[in-house]
Amino acid sequence: MPEITVKYEDKVIERVVTEKKRISIGRGNDNDIVLENRGVSRKHALIEFNDKAAVLIDNESLNGTFVNSRKVSEEVLRDQDIITIGKYSLIYNTETSQEGSDPASYDGTMVLNTRQQKKLLENDRIERKIVEKYGGSVLLGMENADFSEYRLDREVSTVGKAKFVHIRAKGFFLSGIQAKIVKEGQVFSIVNLGKQGKLKVNGEPTTQSVLKNGDLITVGKTVFKFVEGKN
Amino acid sequence: MKYGLISDIHGNLEALTAVLRDIEKQKVDSVHCLGDVVGYGADPARCLKMVKKQCDTVLMGNHDYAAIGVQPYDSFNRAAQAATEWTRQVLDDKSMAIIADFEMERSLDDMYLVHASPYEPEEWHYILTENDADEAFSHLSQNIGFFGHSHIPTIIQEKSDGTTRMQAGHDVSPDRERRYLINIGSVGQPRDNDPRACYVIFDSDEYEIEFHRVEYDIENAQRKMSEARLPSNLISRLSAGT
Repeated sequence: MPEITVKYEDKVIERVVTEKKRISIGRGNDNDIVLENRGVSRKHALIEFNDKAAVLIDNESLNGTFVNSRKVSEEVLRDQDIITIGKYSLIYNTETSQEGSDPASYDGTMVLNTRQQKKLLENDRIERKIVEKYGGSVLLGMENADFSEYRLDREVSTVGKAKFVHIRAKGFFLSGIQAKIVKEGQVFSIVNLGKQGKLKVNGEPTTQSVLKNGDLITVGKTVFKFVEGKN
Repeated sequence: MKYGLISDIHGNLEALTAVLRDIEKQKVDSVHCLGDVVGYGADPARCLKMVKKQCDTVLMGNHDYAAIGVQPYDSFNRAAQAATEWTRQVLDDKSMAIIADFEMERSLDDMYLVHASPYEPEEWHYILTENDADEAFSHLSQNIGFFGHSHIPTIIQEKSDGTTRMQAGHDVSPDRERRYLINIGSVGQPRDNDPRACYVIFDSDEYEIEFHRVEYDIENAQRKMSEARLPSNLISRLSAGT
């Protein structure tokens, strides 16, 4: 059964387990998940469940709905996706989960003008421009990278310290090819090939991970951000 | 300096063991492997361990690249595809990590080492014709380049008029005024109608190249391949050297 963990500024405030086909999220008390903050619209968003997927639909909210830091109007949710509505984070888990952030629509909803909200919108705008420029998913070099942007247009892109890899990373004891990023249709995964413990996704060591928009990939001392190119 | 040069082992532990034992007798200063440690044969993991331990350089080959899933292998022939699938299944993370540390090319003094060609090494171009050789020489900055890939021992000399001369691999004292590309043949799957394992010794002081052929226990290598249910044509070709 799907579970949604509601967090407010990183503190878990509610865990919602549902069998319903559709749950509503908003400031109004008639919602299934009530987010009592004036940055959240009365009817902010919906999640619809069918046999195959859960779909998040933003109800033209004033301050927007974000999935993994990207502004969305309609989005198929994947396990562990982080929905940000104002200062609330809702973590979607297909079985059992956790997380939280902010809200919106002018039915008395307050326009959020916090630095965090502005930054979220600005980053979203910049990242959308980058993926538009490359016509697909990209890696952004965040720390110790040779370039600020890497286009992921190959079936397999190699990451490591060797001269011949597609994406160079730095760090002691890194393997020549530390990892590969594999593209299958629209889905990107990163797979560790080299020494153990040198690849992390969002701070957690991993051997293989499906990449989600906004994921931070650490290879040795180099940090990349994955920005998904669809939509 | 005296260098032992080996290539294209292709998971053939019997051939590799015999060759390394023979090289030991030659009192070389270092041993360098030009790639394709895995693919085709029944002992990819043990061959990886052995080259990692005994070779100063191990270069990436296209079969190694395919084994770690970096290179698509749909262009391989059917038997090679089947062998690659099998190799990918039997290699554990530690073996994969050994391959992940292979280099693509190496320059040592005035010597250049690569698996396929100095021209776009990671594209695995074959050097089979004079045109291929021209392209390769135009990307070679050293006087002598050693490579493998086709499993056919070959000596290619760049002539003064810019053309090239190709000969079957044999012991030579190269002209120091000319440039050479030398295919050092294959340890684990020779294809020049001589089933014995092949390797090269290069003495950079005397400026001499020797091609060595070593008998090994082909039957045992074939028996293990049969047990692993590897394609039959890959097994039979070992005794024919084709």
